[in-house]
Amino acid sequence: MDPFSNFITGTVTLFSDPLGILIFFGGVVGGMLFGAIPGVSMLTLAAILLPFTAHLSAEHGIMLFSVIYCTGVYGGAITAILFNIPGAPENAPTAFDGYPMTRNGQAGKAVGAAVMCSAIGGTVSAVIMMAATAPIANWAISAFGPPEIFALVFFGLAVAATVGARTLWKGWLSILLGLMIAVVGMDPVGGIERYDFDMPYLLAGIHFIPTILGFFAVSEIFVQAERKATGVYEAPKLSVNFPSVAELIAHKFAVVRSIVIGFFCGILPGIGATLAAFMGYNEAVRWSKDRKAFGTGKMEGVISSETANNAATGAAMIPLLALGLPGGALTAMMVGVFQMHDMEPGPLVFLNSPDLVWVVFAAMFFANLSILLVGFLETKTIINLLRIPFQFLAPLILLLATVGAYAVRGLVIDVVVMFIAGVAGFFLRRSGYSVAGIVLGLILGKIGEQTFAQAMQMLHFEWTGFFNRPIAALLIVAALLTVAGSIYSAFFRKDRQ
Amino acid sequence: MGKLRLGHICEAVFWLALAAFLYIESFEFDRGIEIYKFGATGWPRALLLLVAVAAIGQFLFQFVAGDKATSGTVGAATDDGAEEAARQSGHSHFRWYVSTFCLLILPFLYMRAHDLVGMFLELDKEGIHSVKLMAAPVLLFVYLLMARGNHVGAILTLPLFFAALLEDLGFYSMAPLFIVGVTLLMGERRPQWIALTAALIMGVLLFTFVSLLYVGLPTGNISPFYDLSHWIVTMIQ
Repeated sequence: MDPFSNFITGTVTLFSDPLGILIFFGGVVGGMLFGAIPGVSMLTLAAILLPFTAHLSAEHGIMLFSVIYCTGVYGGAITAILFNIPGAPENAPTAFDGYPMTRNGQAGKAVGAAVMCSAIGGTVSAVIMMAATAPIANWAISAFGPPEIFALVFFGLAVAATVGARTLWKGWLSILLGLMIAVVGMDPVGGIERYDFDMPYLLAGIHFIPTILGFFAVSEIFVQAERKATGVYEAPKLSVNFPSVAELIAHKFAVVRSIVIGFFCGILPGIGATLAAFMGYNEAVRWSKDRKAFGTGKMEGVISSETANNAATGAAMIPLLALGLPGGALTAMMVGVFQMHDMEPGPLVFLNSPDLVWVVFAAMFFANLSILLVGFLETKTIINLLRIPFQFLAPLILLLATVGAYAVRGLVIDVVVMFIAGVAGFFLRRSGYSVAGIVLGLILGKIGEQTFAQAMQMLHFEWTGFFNRPIAALLIVAALLTVAGSIYSAFFRKDRQ
Repeated sequence: MGKLRLGHICEAVFWLALAAFLYIESFEFDRGIEIYKFGATGWPRALLLLVAVAAIGQFLFQFVAGDKATSGTVGAATDDGAEEAARQSGHSHFRWYVSTFCLLILPFLYMRAHDLVGMFLELDKEGIHSVKLMAAPVLLFVYLLMARGNHVGAILTLPLFFAALLEDLGFYSMAPLFIVGVTLLMGERRPQWIALTAALIMGVLLFTFVSLLYVGLPTGNISPFYDLSHWIVTMIQ
């Protein structure tokens, strides 16, 4: 059957099963809510729900997680915009302009742009995913080996160093700190324990969820608390004026560009939505005639980041379903759901369980569409969180973050790590470092080291081997030019602020 | 000294000291891997070299340009209020940092209290619990004394104290006190509002996570806190 007929069959199967409908809407609302409540995230919800999926069919379990993935990535934008607390790392660049928009009294416009662009990015990505999963997966896997993926990570980090910190050097130091945190634990080649300081907890590495909650949510509470303690706190301005269609159409090129970037990053195993959002944002800055306006509340920043990260969601399912390679934390949990049902994701899924594949595809398509409807309705209510005085909101966020950090592995030490990260984030942010850069380094650190090791083994430890592979060479040259260009700007251009 | 401040020198010293410390520590796992000639240390040492380079680059830049932002960066950090809050609060002098550091050490003293006492006395499980039960109020008293002179330091320390106490005293006993503490530190003084906030937040959290989603929260391991936690969980579920 052709993809369209399969899609219709998947849609009919999805909406003719009452339990399927219930799980679908539960996933839509749950993903958005957990994404949009500061302190917890879609990953918290996924971690909590993982054991329950053993009682569901494989079809329902995978469908639930894929729906949570689509709506949760959007939901995290709400907290990024309203509170400067990204719900997930892929929403971090959204906060760069989203939060200044809230401070400028344009919260409604920022959230509206996020709703529209998340839906557009996600839906287009889902359509491409349905049309061409197998060929795209085959292309990605044949064209992108470890050298190319390492080169892309290098390029992504080079790009991210110029975003979020006061100076280029602080940008690099932020990213390097994240990369060093990712070093803790077993090395990816020989399994040798590193920087464990004789603490069994550190053998498994520092888990990224508590660290992210600390750097984003807890440090933001501390910053706001300092402002309140010193009497300079200003409550964010409430507004529900959504952007006009004309405003969104004016950014059509940014949307298309971010879809391409997001989809491309999403199909590469291990890269996923986080790098997509950073690169989408950075390209928006690079292509803009008004670069200086970014970071001060420019809608294009929100549009670029949110389109790119949602465009990565559909694409991330391609390596998972076609090749069995998870692209991030949530897709890795989906592998767990498969395994709970004695299945392995990979090419055989398309042969043995076509119903499952097409119900999941249909559910993702409709989940992205439902962001438009449910997103606007939910936003009208969530935005009212801004009305709650900070002294009552702060303990709620801190306790939600505590539950979120603890729920992942059931370890109190994760809560301690989260608050340590929060204190560290507080001091680093007030000195002009970028917590978003740290988190990006932390997330890409493991995949970066692993692919570097694999690449070097493949290339027989010849550095020049990178330049014999066109895509890797292109990405490395682009990364080096980015680094050289930013160093030149840092030292020789005179428009410092 | 160019446009350098003491803070810039401290920053550079911090990064270089961190890189040096981690480099020395890397000899702990400096073992070869047969199939990989860079071994387990190649990647972290390369990163540490880059940390040192970036720290020196930052230092030189500050020598020339002080606190200015480099051009070509998108200055999100300068616009998210953190730097502005630090500037306006005046919390950038050496004494404030020392006082905050002393406050931040208190939760870690609690976590290691039994090791410190264990250097002089042999402690069994009951003994460790007794030490912790005695250490908690003493350190909290010290915290309250020190917090009076350093409001922001107190705000930073309270969540760490809460996390340190979670393992032994449990979420169910500590969370209401934590809510009251945070609300007070944020400037709320009306008792009825504080009580209502604590009741509402605990109600929502317990209903959503414990009753609906069956998330097991820390119950503590010292009686009577442990018994209280179990009683609450049994009542809710």
